[in-house]
Amino acid sequence: MKLLLGLVLGAAFGAVLQLSGASSHTKIVNALRLKDLTIIKLILMAIGVGMLGVHLLDLLGLANMKVKELYVLGILLAGAIFGVGFAVSGYCPGTALAAAAEGKPDAWMTIAGGLVGAMVFAFLFPELEEHLLAVGSYGAVTLHGELGIAGIWLAAPMGALCIWLAHRLPGGAGTP
Amino acid sequence: MRKHTGVEPVMPWWAGGLAIGAILTVATGLVQPIGVSTQYVVFDGVWLHAVAPDLAARSPYLAQTAEGWTLATYEFFFVLGIPLGGFLAALATNRFSPRLVPREWAARFGPSPGKRLLWSFLGGFILLFGARFGGGCTSGHMISGVSQLAVSSFLFSTALFISAIATAKWMYPDREAKR
Repeated sequence: MKLLLGLVLGAAFGAVLQLSGASSHTKIVNALRLKDLTIIKLILMAIGVGMLGVHLLDLLGLANMKVKELYVLGILLAGAIFGVGFAVSGYCPGTALAAAAEGKPDAWMTIAGGLVGAMVFAFLFPELEEHLLAVGSYGAVTLHGELGIAGIWLAAPMGALCIWLAHRLPGGAGTP
Repeated sequence: MRKHTGVEPVMPWWAGGLAIGAILTVATGLVQPIGVSTQYVVFDGVWLHAVAPDLAARSPYLAQTAEGWTLATYEFFFVLGIPLGGFLAALATNRFSPRLVPREWAARFGPSPGKRLLWSFLGGFILLFGARFGGGCTSGHMISGVSQLAVSSFLFSTALFISAIATAKWMYPDREAKR
């Protein structure tokens, strides 16, 4: 039952990525070149709605949160590395899967490269853990947790800000 | 205006964003926030365990991530659903685009498929190395993590965008004439 739920939610996610252009190399690259902000608007909207939804659930005690660990140096390096891969491939690990299903051979290669990259990381992990993941390590911290308030008090204004920003950014320009 | 290029979205940004935010909310209520990149490791682990169990067991990271060496998990099926949904969506809207070289790439680096495929592979390598290093990708860190107001996800996303925009600007310098 849980497997089926996973498949259905994943399929909904994959369908939205496809339909909204997030699986398109052109759309991603032009978003990163700041030529066509459609995907940036989409992400901001998703985060805005997600913030409100998740923290409303949390207010009702219904959210199964899973907050990622903070290790400052490693996180910054990792984000920077990921960004290079994002621009070079034009996909992220999720959108590559949707793009591969559309029949794009370069998305298949991104997935293959990703599997190798993940494997290499798995075998380097003990080294990296010792030297990099320990620097600036604070555990699974959240903004509202640090302030000692319920998440919704931050999520409501910040979520609204994301949605407003998504609305205000220029969209659709730059594509034929 | 060309038809069926597979490039132009059929769903506007606000509807797509609303839908992803709603999927995240439902997933968080029923099971957990959404995430993708961990499952690349899980797939690696299960595969390696099948072909070379001793080698797989030597990586504590693999053994821990691919717990039980099985793909029959909610998390893996979620990721399996993404190409399924992408395929059905492309089928329903007739937006398959089995082109070898994407338009922007061809305009800048030429039409050679080998070059594009090689760099796609390298890009994927860097992408997943970074994602596993940081503990998440666009889904897990940027969408799920920032939505949960996780400090690590704000940092990861900021570094990601600065680096991705700088790389894209460097790879694709702006030019006046198009085509």
